[in-house]
Amino acid sequence: MTQVTGNATAGGDKPSRLRVSSAARWGGLKAGERRVGLLFLAPALIAFATVIAWPFLRALGYAFTRYDLQTPVPRFIGFDNFRMILSTPEILGSFVTTGIYVGLATGFTVLLGFAWAMILNQPFRGRGAIRAISLIPWVLPSTVSAFVWGWIFNSRYGLLNALFLELGLIDHPTAWLSTPNGAMAAVVVTKVWLSIPLFMTFFLAGLQSLDREQIEAARVDGAGNWPVLRDHVLPHLRPVLLVVIVLGVIGNLQHFDTIYALTGGGPVRATAVLSIEVYRRAFDQWDTGLASAIGLLWVATILPAAAYYLRHLLRGV
Amino acid sequence: MKINRRNFVALGAAGAASLAMPSIGRAQGANVSFMSFNFAEDPNRPFIQKVVEDFKGSSGITVEPIGSAWGDMQRNILLRQRSRTLPQTAQIQDRWLPAIAQMQETVDLGALLGRPAIEEAIDPGALGLGLVANKLVGLPLISGSVGFVANKEIMAKAGIAKVPETIDEFRAALLAVRDKVPNSVPFGMATKNPSSIPLDLMLLVWAHGGRLVDDEGKVVANSPATRAAFEFIAGLMRDRLVAPEIDRPDARRLFAQGTCAFYIDAPAARTFARSFSGRGEAADAFVLPMKTPILRAGDSPRSVEWGQVISMFATAPVAADAPVVRWLRNFISNGVQTTLPLQLGGLPTTKSGRASPIVRNDNFLKDWAAAVGVTRKHEIGVWSNGPELSTILSEEMQAALLGQKNANAAVDAIQSRMEQSMARRG
Repeated sequence: MTQVTGNATAGGDKPSRLRVSSAARWGGLKAGERRVGLLFLAPALIAFATVIAWPFLRALGYAFTRYDLQTPVPRFIGFDNFRMILSTPEILGSFVTTGIYVGLATGFTVLLGFAWAMILNQPFRGRGAIRAISLIPWVLPSTVSAFVWGWIFNSRYGLLNALFLELGLIDHPTAWLSTPNGAMAAVVVTKVWLSIPLFMTFFLAGLQSLDREQIEAARVDGAGNWPVLRDHVLPHLRPVLLVVIVLGVIGNLQHFDTIYALTGGGPVRATAVLSIEVYRRAFDQWDTGLASAIGLLWVATILPAAAYYLRHLLRGV
Repeated sequence: MKINRRNFVALGAAGAASLAMPSIGRAQGANVSFMSFNFAEDPNRPFIQKVVEDFKGSSGITVEPIGSAWGDMQRNILLRQRSRTLPQTAQIQDRWLPAIAQMQETVDLGALLGRPAIEEAIDPGALGLGLVANKLVGLPLISGSVGFVANKEIMAKAGIAKVPETIDEFRAALLAVRDKVPNSVPFGMATKNPSSIPLDLMLLVWAHGGRLVDDEGKVVANSPATRAAFEFIAGLMRDRLVAPEIDRPDARRLFAQGTCAFYIDAPAARTFARSFSGRGEAADAFVLPMKTPILRAGDSPRSVEWGQVISMFATAPVAADAPVVRWLRNFISNGVQTTLPLQLGGLPTTKSGRASPIVRNDNFLKDWAAAVGVTRKHEIGVWSNGPELSTILSEEMQAALLGQKNANAAVDAIQSRMEQSMARRG
């Protein structure tokens, strides 16, 4: 709306001299407010465009090029990188490894996070302190956690070996991180330990909104623990559970730091999930084209979960 | 400052301009930037710092050393190239040069410093360290070889009277260490890091008479000798004579602290032993360079050519008297060559440095030279796809060590995967 501060004549006559504010000249007050809004939004938009959108678009382009140490200037090669992915068992193996890792890490985190929330939802002395302490793994930087767990699993001076030797469970120290199953178990345990506090918080919030009278009524009717859990608690937590599982899958599909710090993707390729594979191809072998192609497929694996989550979020779960 | 539209635009323009600044980074307040992996190592940092300070004292030129761990150095250089923040000079391991030479910013030092003058100053045996396709892309700083080192104190504890010379004697010595020195790692072979594994593997393959890649770039891993080497290595793991989760830095510490009898390193082993043992120069008494074990009497012990060079990066022609060029020349001055290489555990690269009494009277270097045997270039690092070849070798060797593959399957996989990599390299 144009703001007119002087008098105007009707009937299309040439108006007398008008005094129009600068805001009015630029489209009115609302447009001015929009511009201020955009100005405040600009830093975030610039950061997003610079740090996320532009690199993503470049990586998208690189996926169709050869761009490595022998080819310092990217050269278009169509779908050759994708053909190479399909014909390289080691790379395809990373998709399987990722599936195993995401399945185990998400499953155990949901299970243990829920169990811990159930315990912390019970009234007992010191509950507040334990709730606060439970958040420590979440607060710690993930690389610090990785080094703590690296020390626990270390073959020469690790806590786990010391404990098992003391209990007589093993005869000589075991190199947990140097066996495929041990390394996978270690990275899963570390991630589960890191994620339990967050998941526990979600579940605890859900449990606290549960109608206690409903549970008590079920108890009066003779319902045991399992029927109460199955028929009352779980249905109530269903929306939370969905969100937690989807967030867990997305987070574990993206996970990189503790795996890299603990095993570097090894031994052999036992813990080479897609994030590690992309990193190795891009920064160890300098094959940016192939790394971008794998990265693109990696994003494609995350998209369904992300879309599902966003859909529920926008609907208001 | 009042923030209005004009100021906002001006600030934005200034920010954008600062992002587009020159692609070769000169350190703030310094004339020259120098990236160094020795500067990132506690035992060696003071030596590099001294060179920088002495150079400032004599020339008035300020150099900013930038530390970067050895394992990250190549990655940092290539990332800085892509982000246009390369240092002006950098310390480079000789086997990284083929990859570094691919960068258009890497300066031909032969043209800049004068090839005849360099050839006059540098020992002919060391000059090759800085050459890629006959172009001098690295100024040789330190030379030497990579071979076996023995810990005399642990050998004595294990009752090993004679330094093992053959593979069989070596294995027997390892068994003695395992049985008589509790909680020890008899042989600190690299089993963890893809950057370190190929070197140790290569030496053992050579000791068994095999090769991995020949001088023309043909993959020749598929041979009975390589299979025998893999069986030998897998046997070491089965018998707990080598340990998993060992990288070169781990081996150095274990060796210095008396829990590792043998490992593979450059002459820098002495510097690390002095530092990590806490015994300073007294540690020299237990560090013994030894010949790489041979398969049969009469075979030549092998070692890997090793050295460090200084490379220079620029996007525009550099004047011959520019501060960075003077800094570069400083590395082959007598003052630096008769101190720094020895401190870092290597031989000088200049003719005058090698002829100096301090070098000729160094007993450790004499012993090292006697143990070198026949040197060969790193078979993997000399190729520009070396990082990918290293990954392949490491994965297959780990698979053999863990028993996931037998020696034959691991060697077959190495042959086919490395052939594919070399074909892709073109």
